[in-house]
Amino acid sequence: MTKNASAQPSGGKGFWVFLGILVAVNVVIGIFFAPRHVELEHPPIFQIPNFLAFLGVPGEWMPAHLTFTWLVMGMLLLLAALGTRALRPVPGPLQNFVEVLIEAFSTLLDQMIGRQGRQFLPFIGTAGLFILTSNLLANIPGFVKPTANWNTTVALALTVFIYYNYCGIRKHGLQNYLKHFCGPVWWLAPLMFPIEFIGHLARPVSLSIRLFGNMFGEESVVVILLSLVWLVMPYLIWLTVMLPLGLFVSVVQTFVFIMLSMVYIAGAVEEGHGEEHQ
Amino acid sequence: MPNEEEPSVLRQLARLSTIGVALVAATAIGLAIGYGLDRWLGTSPWLTLTFTLFGIAAGFLNLFRDVGLIGRGRK
Repeated sequence: MTKNASAQPSGGKGFWVFLGILVAVNVVIGIFFAPRHVELEHPPIFQIPNFLAFLGVPGEWMPAHLTFTWLVMGMLLLLAALGTRALRPVPGPLQNFVEVLIEAFSTLLDQMIGRQGRQFLPFIGTAGLFILTSNLLANIPGFVKPTANWNTTVALALTVFIYYNYCGIRKHGLQNYLKHFCGPVWWLAPLMFPIEFIGHLARPVSLSIRLFGNMFGEESVVVILLSLVWLVMPYLIWLTVMLPLGLFVSVVQTFVFIMLSMVYIAGAVEEGHGEEHQ
Repeated sequence: MPNEEEPSVLRQLARLSTIGVALVAATAIGLAIGYGLDRWLGTSPWLTLTFTLFGIAAGFLNLFRDVGLIGRGRK
């Protein structure tokens, strides 16, 4: 239909012709005449003054990712407080929503870790909700993704790293937990221990880089793509291509993060049972 | 039925998307440890080489585990 419209511009196809001309003009102007120094960052929708300057935080305002981290935390706290304020056997809309969220995380935990997975629900649920909210929030223009800053994702990944090691040590004891690092046969231990050690150290690095890279990359692509074109085209491209892609990437990356956390926790907790099949 | 199907596709997507970064991260960690130890102990190329090899091995071990060649019996 669109091919037909561009072939013979007559009748009600004027819209498509107009759109085509708009695209062509945009591309030409964008490539040849657009100002090279576009202001790539537009200011976040709200800022708070830097009240932590005595701790060495630089700048006149608080860093944007920190402000929006607090905003996300506040939203989640509000949701939790309002959702559980008056629990009823026949849930209202908000309690229903909270129950759906908890049910989803519980199902995932049951599938990934097994029958003892429910005890990790607070940790996994908090991490997942925080990442999901902060990823989705920044699809509103003017909001900043906390997860598009490496500091936030490193903090999250280090928390996961410490937590799953703590779970493993609590379950097996320090000596038994370290014994799992040494491989199945004792004479392989000098070889296996550094390999396993490096492999475990690589986990927080890859976790944090993956989340940060996806979020920051998506943001940068949006900014650069929109600075190349002109008139209403940025909004069309953003609405039709980048926004659905951004929503999809946000959900998938949240899922990847919490799924990998669950895999790590399951590995740390379950490893004792893996000995008999060596 | 679609509820049965959808998470597994998403999970496979998630698991497969982890492979590239994990391999590189393990190698980089190994290289960083070796380089740091070399700077500290002054045994110039040897520890860097050794720990880079350890890192590459760790990366492939993680990769095989993620793909499921090794951990197949477990789950």
